[in-house]
Amino acid sequence: MLALDGIDLTIGDGEFVALVGPSGCGKSTLLRILAGLIEPSGGSARVHGEEPQRARRSHAIGLVTQDPGLLPWRTVEGNVALPLEVTGASADVPALLGRVGIAEFAAYHPRELSGGMRQRVALARALAHGPQLLLMDEPFGSLDEFSREEMGLELLRIWERDRVSVLFVTHSIREAVLLADRVLVMSAQPGRIVAELPITFDRPRSQELDQTSQFAELVLATRRAMGGRP
Amino acid sequence: MSDDARSGPPGAAPEFADLLESSEWVATPSGRGRGLPRAGEIAGAVLPALVAATIAIALWELWVRARDIKEYLVPAPTAVGRALLDDPSRFIEAGSVSLMHALGGLLIGTGAAFLLAVVMAHSRVLERALYPLAILVKVTPVVAVAPLFLIWFGFNAWPKLLVAGLITFFPMLVNAVTGLRTIDPTAYDFMRALNASKWQVFWKLRLPASLPYVLAALRISVPLSLIGAVVAEWFAADSGVGQIIVIANGDLDTPVLFAAVTMLALIGVTLTGVVAYIERRVLFWHESSSGV
Repeated sequence: MLALDGIDLTIGDGEFVALVGPSGCGKSTLLRILAGLIEPSGGSARVHGEEPQRARRSHAIGLVTQDPGLLPWRTVEGNVALPLEVTGASADVPALLGRVGIAEFAAYHPRELSGGMRQRVALARALAHGPQLLLMDEPFGSLDEFSREEMGLELLRIWERDRVSVLFVTHSIREAVLLADRVLVMSAQPGRIVAELPITFDRPRSQELDQTSQFAELVLATRRAMGGRP
Repeated sequence: MSDDARSGPPGAAPEFADLLESSEWVATPSGRGRGLPRAGEIAGAVLPALVAATIAIALWELWVRARDIKEYLVPAPTAVGRALLDDPSRFIEAGSVSLMHALGGLLIGTGAAFLLAVVMAHSRVLERALYPLAILVKVTPVVAVAPLFLIWFGFNAWPKLLVAGLITFFPMLVNAVTGLRTIDPTAYDFMRALNASKWQVFWKLRLPASLPYVLAALRISVPLSLIGAVVAEWFAADSGVGQIIVIANGDLDTPVLFAAVTMLALIGVTLTGVVAYIERRVLFWHESSSGV
């Protein structure tokens, strides 16, 4: 079965790209190809001019998924230090924890934290080794709506400082429009990119943006591109 | 994202996993409470058992006296106590020898099993090649090979260590293989996206993830190692509590027989307690340690 077809996707330096699409359209497959976790059966992918496998070897990628996948036997600090141990990179872990707002939880274990807190740890862990591309697969998908909005804006705040390139896979059109510089819409079976919408709101962005008519129009346009009812 | 290609831990052979799940040898990892319990908790947990045991021993004593039961059939608890106190150093010496046999065997058996599990968890081919042999070891009654070991290794510690080791081998093998494979797929993906080596995945992910299973296996293996040690001591009849049992059995000295059994029970309870303590300290992070 063809999972992905004719995907032509370029992410600029420091660009925040959101990828939306129905369940099973291959969003995660695409992300896993870019992460170098699986090989495409055909075609090619490049991350910063390199094949994903090479990008992986040069530690250019940071990964955040819906399930944070933290190591339960390590403290927050220990979890964030994991990529440093693996790659041999060095970073100021306490400062990193401060940036994602969990400095006071450094000595906690994951089971003692809420879902939102765990995702903050996962984000700090993904950024620790200084990746050039942050791949995020529905990172806030299992959070309640309030935490989800809060974490989205929190992510923007952190991202605006580093400006790493981000590919953000999500189910939520509103989330995509609120966060991204560009929204890509995928269709299912085979997964292909059917629309591309530039989002030109000023940064830093705030939650109030979703009250504007321009926001509503973009959400509507995205939904139409997905083939849903307007 | 159910249809997306998710790669789980490598080399997880489903047929083996199925075998494991249906096997009574796979203990569910457990551990109660975190850290050390308070004195009040200890009293609350231990007191009912102590009261029950005291009542049972008292009833036993009364029953033996009231019915005037022959000592060589069932000795009264006081007679067993007398036998123990008559020559305490004999029981303590024999007990420590048996303890060394059991612990040494445990170390050899579970150590070898864990190393083999590491190999099997990484290679399906080796797993398929070695698993039938492991089953063979499991289904062969250890009592049957004990005399053989005596012939091969002679009247020294080795037959005891090896029989105790053999009996503890299989539970550790299956549990450790399961534990080394039961890793969080997301954590595994994260490490792979960082180009982590197999060695790093082993030390930082597989090994800690296997600990609940390894400790559960130890809980099973500790009493088994004692069985192995005593069985081997019967055949050699040259040392340990097993020797006391063989001699007392020949003399129909039932109080000494009971005293020997009491000694073994004490060793078993102590070792199990030690494993439970280690579990509580090491597995503070495991979900099983949250509830009571």
